[in-house]
Amino acid sequence: MTKPLTARAWDAITSLKLTIACLAFLMVLVVLCTLAQVELGTFGAVSKYIKSFLVWWDVPGTLWSIPVLPGGALVGVVLAVNLVSAQARRLELSWKKSGIWIIHAGLILLIAGEFVASVFQVESQMAIEEGQTLNYIEGRDLELAVIDVTDPAFDDVYSIPESRLAGGGTIGVPGTPVFLRVKAFYRNAELAPRGPQDPPSPADRGVGASIAVRPMPPVSRDDRVNQTAAFVEPVAGGRSYGTWLASNVLGAPQSFTHEGRTYVLALRPRRQYLPYAVTLKKFSHDVYAGTDIPKNFSSLVHLSNPSRGEQRDVLIYMNQPLRYDGKAFYQASFGKNDTLSVLQVVENPGWLLPYVSCVLVTLGLLVHFAIALRRSSRRRQGVQEA
Amino acid sequence: MNAARIASLVAGGLALAGALVALAPPGKVGGFDVDGFARLPVLEGGRVKPIDSVARNTLLMIRSQQSFRHEGRTIGPEEWVLDVLFRPDVANAQPVFVINDPEVLGLIGLRQTSDRYFSFRTLAPHLGEIERQAQVAHPIDAKERTRFQSAIVNLFDRIYLYYRLENTVQLAGSPGLAAELLDLRASGAQERHRALADLSAFRPLPPPAGQAGDAWRSVGEALRAGVAGNVDPGLEPLARLGRAYASRDAAGFNAAVADLGAVDASRRPEAVKQADHETLFNRAQPFYAGMVIYVLALLALFASWLWKPGILQPAAFGLLVAGAVVHTGGLVSRIVLQGRPPVTNLYSSAVFVGWCAVILGVVLERLYRRGFGTAVAAASGFASLIIAHHLTGDGDTMEMMRAVLDSNFWLATHVVTITIGYSGTFLAGAIAIGYAFRRQFAPRLDPATSKALVSMAYGVICFALLFSFVGTVLGGIWADQSWGRFWGWDPKENGALLIVLWNAIILHARWGGYAREKGIMAMAIFGNVITSLSWFGVNMLGVGLHSYGFMDKAFWALSAFIASQLLVMALCLLPRQFWRPAGSRAGEEVTGTV
Repeated sequence: MTKPLTARAWDAITSLKLTIACLAFLMVLVVLCTLAQVELGTFGAVSKYIKSFLVWWDVPGTLWSIPVLPGGALVGVVLAVNLVSAQARRLELSWKKSGIWIIHAGLILLIAGEFVASVFQVESQMAIEEGQTLNYIEGRDLELAVIDVTDPAFDDVYSIPESRLAGGGTIGVPGTPVFLRVKAFYRNAELAPRGPQDPPSPADRGVGASIAVRPMPPVSRDDRVNQTAAFVEPVAGGRSYGTWLASNVLGAPQSFTHEGRTYVLALRPRRQYLPYAVTLKKFSHDVYAGTDIPKNFSSLVHLSNPSRGEQRDVLIYMNQPLRYDGKAFYQASFGKNDTLSVLQVVENPGWLLPYVSCVLVTLGLLVHFAIALRRSSRRRQGVQEA
Repeated sequence: MNAARIASLVAGGLALAGALVALAPPGKVGGFDVDGFARLPVLEGGRVKPIDSVARNTLLMIRSQQSFRHEGRTIGPEEWVLDVLFRPDVANAQPVFVINDPEVLGLIGLRQTSDRYFSFRTLAPHLGEIERQAQVAHPIDAKERTRFQSAIVNLFDRIYLYYRLENTVQLAGSPGLAAELLDLRASGAQERHRALADLSAFRPLPPPAGQAGDAWRSVGEALRAGVAGNVDPGLEPLARLGRAYASRDAAGFNAAVADLGAVDASRRPEAVKQADHETLFNRAQPFYAGMVIYVLALLALFASWLWKPGILQPAAFGLLVAGAVVHTGGLVSRIVLQGRPPVTNLYSSAVFVGWCAVILGVVLERLYRRGFGTAVAAASGFASLIIAHHLTGDGDTMEMMRAVLDSNFWLATHVVTITIGYSGTFLAGAIAIGYAFRRQFAPRLDPATSKALVSMAYGVICFALLFSFVGTVLGGIWADQSWGRFWGWDPKENGALLIVLWNAIILHARWGGYAREKGIMAMAIFGNVITSLSWFGVNMLGVGLHSYGFMDKAFWALSAFIASQLLVMALCLLPRQFWRPAGSRAGEEVTGTV
C-alpha cells in the first residue's frame, strides 16, 4: 500500500535526511563562497553563493546561464521549514527533549536574523576630516546628483541612482525642468588626459572634452573602487546644454545655467542625509612605543541634533561603536596623515536577533548534553551493577 | 599502594624533575656574568622584556635557531648578543645568516652546499646588490612575490635587523659609548646621536618613576638629552659594561651589570620582576619539555601493548600528567607575562589546542581506563607543540595585540571557546584514527573496546559542537561590536561555521542511524581535515579581515596532512584487514551489527 502524495511530501519535508542534505549543501556553498572571495571579493562572492536562491553558472562561449546549485537563501528557507515542521511532527513536548526544543528555536532565530540582515541591513560610510561637520552618510553605489545651487543659503539636491544611469535613455530630473540624455555609461573606466592618438571625446563641455575615457572591467576586490564615468546631455525647455563627462574621480564641479538657475552635475557616492550632524573634533592613531603596531584608533566626535536638543561629545573607538537613531557608527579606517577618519555606518533592524539566538542555543546545548550525560552515566552504572 | 600507582608516580615525578633541571641558572661564560646581563629589562616591540628574549628571538629570526656552534663550542643567545653589541668584529665572523634559496645564493656567487650558514662578513661585499634586488621586490604585494623575491626581501630584512642590533648601544666601528660620553658635543656627535636613535633595535634605558611605563629611551635619545644637561644614570654603567666586555675584563663587566641592574631596579622594579620571570620562562622552555615528555608517554604506552601492561600503562599515564603539568605551567606563565588570555596569535592557539586536547584526554582516561585516552592525548599534545614550535620563526611570540584585537574580554570569550572547539574536533579525530588503526591491525577485536571508543568520540564531538558553536556566534557578536555586522562571510568565520556544520552533520547522521560505528569514525577523521583548513587553510587565502596570521610556507605541510587524513579515512572504511584473503581475516566484523 502506498502512502498518499501529501503524506509522502510531509515525510520528505520533515525528514532528518533533508536536514543533513541542507547542512551538507550549506557546507559546499560556504566552501565555494570562501574560495570565490579571492576572485570576486567578499561582496561578490556572498551575493553569488549565499544571498541568492540559485547559483548560476555562465556556460563559457555562450550567453547562457544555468542554475547548478541551490543558493544559500534557498537552503536557508528549506532548512527553516524542515526544522519547524520536523519539530512539530516528531519531537514530543517533554523535559527530555527540552534541550532540542531550545536549540532549534535558537537556530530558527539565527536563520531569521540572517534573512533580516540580508534584506534590511544597509552599510554606509562617513569619511570625515578633523574639524569637518557632516550631515550625510555615503553608500557603496553612486548617484548622479543635479544640484540647484542658485540660492547661496541652501542647495536643492536631485539625484539619479547609478542603476538608472546604467539603463541609458532619457531621464527626467524630478522637481526640475531638466532632462538628462545618457549617451554612455561605464561602470569602471580609466580616465586620462586625451592624447593626439585618442578619438575625440563625446563631451563638448566642461573638463570632459580633454579627457580620454577607456572602459575597464569592474573591480572585484573590496578594497578597490570603480572609476565610474558617464556622458550625459542635459536638455531643458527643448534646448541642449551640451554633453558633459561625469565621474566620481573628477574633482572640479561642473555646472550649467538654465533660465537663471545654476545646476551642478556630480557623480558621487549615494548620499543619505541625516536629521543630525556629526563633527570630527579629533582623530587619534596610537602605536606601541618603538613600533608601528597600531594600539588604538579613536574618533572624538560631536553629535548635534537640534530637533531633540542634543549636543554631546562621543568617543568612537575599537570595539566601541556609537549607536544612535537606529544606526551604529564604527571606527573603520583612516587616511590623510591621520586627519581623516572613516566611520562605517550600519543600520540593521534585526541586530539583536543573533544575541538572543546565541543565548538560546548555548542554553539548549548545555541542557541537552547534560541530560544525555546523566543518562549515559546511569547506563554505565547499571552495567557495572549488573 | 599498588605497583601501578607507584609506576605512575615514579614516571611522572622523574619527568617533572627533568623539566625542573632546565630552570637552574647557567654558569658564567669565561667569568662573564652573561646571565645577569640577559636578565636586564629593555623595551622592544612595544613591551618590556629581558635582553634574553630579544637575543633569542633575533637569533631565531636570523638563523632559525636559538644557539649555534662555532669554532668548536656552542654560542648561546646571550653571548651572541653581547658580541654583536660590543665586539662587532667577532660577531661579524660568526655564521648566523641561514640562506636556503639557491637563487639568492647564486646572486652572491655561492653554490648550494650542505653549509647553509653565512657570516655577515661573507655577505658584506654583496650588500649593495642584495639591497638593490630587495628594493625591486619590496613594492610587490607579499602574496604576489616570486620565491626569489620573497627570499631576497627576507634576507635583506634579516641583515637590516642585525645591522640595527649592532648599532643599538654604540655605532659599530666607533670607539664606543664610553668615548662618546667623554664629550657629548664633539664634532659629528649630533649625527651619531641621531643615527643611534634611528637604528636602535631596543631601548635599554628605563624612564624615571612617574613617567609613562613605555617611555623607555634608546641610547641615542638619552645622549641627546645628555647634551641638554640631563644625563641618564644608566648610560655610564652601560658604557662601562661595553668597554669591559670588549677588553675581556670579566670583573669590570660583572660590576657594570650589577650597577645597571641597580638603576633598573630603582626606576622600574616591576620591569625587573617581569624580565626575571620571562628569562626563567625562556630558559625552562616548558613547551619543548612538554613535547619530550609526551613522546615518552607515547613510547611507554606503545611498549605497554607488548610488555607488562600493568606497569607501563600507568607509567604512561603518569608521564602524560607530568607533561600536562609542565604544559600548564608554560601556559599560565605566558598568561601572566602577557596579561592576556591564553590565545593571542596562531602560535599560542597551537599551544592551547594541544593543552585542551591533553586535559580532555586525561579526563577520558580517568573515565574509561583503557590507555586510549593517554594515547590520543599524548599524540595530540605532541603534535600541537610541534606545530607551535614551527610557528615561532617570526620572532616574539608574545607580540603586542593590534588595535581591534586589543580586547581581553573578547580574546577570553570568543577566541578561547573557538580554540577549545578546534581542540575537541581534533581529539575526536585522533580517537577515530586510533579506532581505524586498531580495527585494521589489532590481532583481535573486542566489541566492548570498539564501543567505548565510539562513545568517547561521540562525547567529544558533542563537546566540540557546543564550543565551536558558541565560539562562532561569540565571534559574530564581536564582529557586530567592532565592524557593525554580525556575520560577514569572512573566510575565518566561514571556517568556523564549517566545523559547526560538520559536527552537526555527524551528530544528526548518528541520531538518524544513517551512519554506524565506522561511518561515524570516518566522519570524525574528516573533522580533522575541516578543522585544519579552518585553522590554517583560510589564512593562506590571504583575504578577509582575519588574515593576521598569513603564512605560505605551511601550504605543503597542510596538503600532506589532509592527504594522510583521507588515507586513514579509507583505512577506516575498508573491510577489516582488507589485504588478507576474505577467509583468513582475524576476527569478524564487529561493526555493522547494532
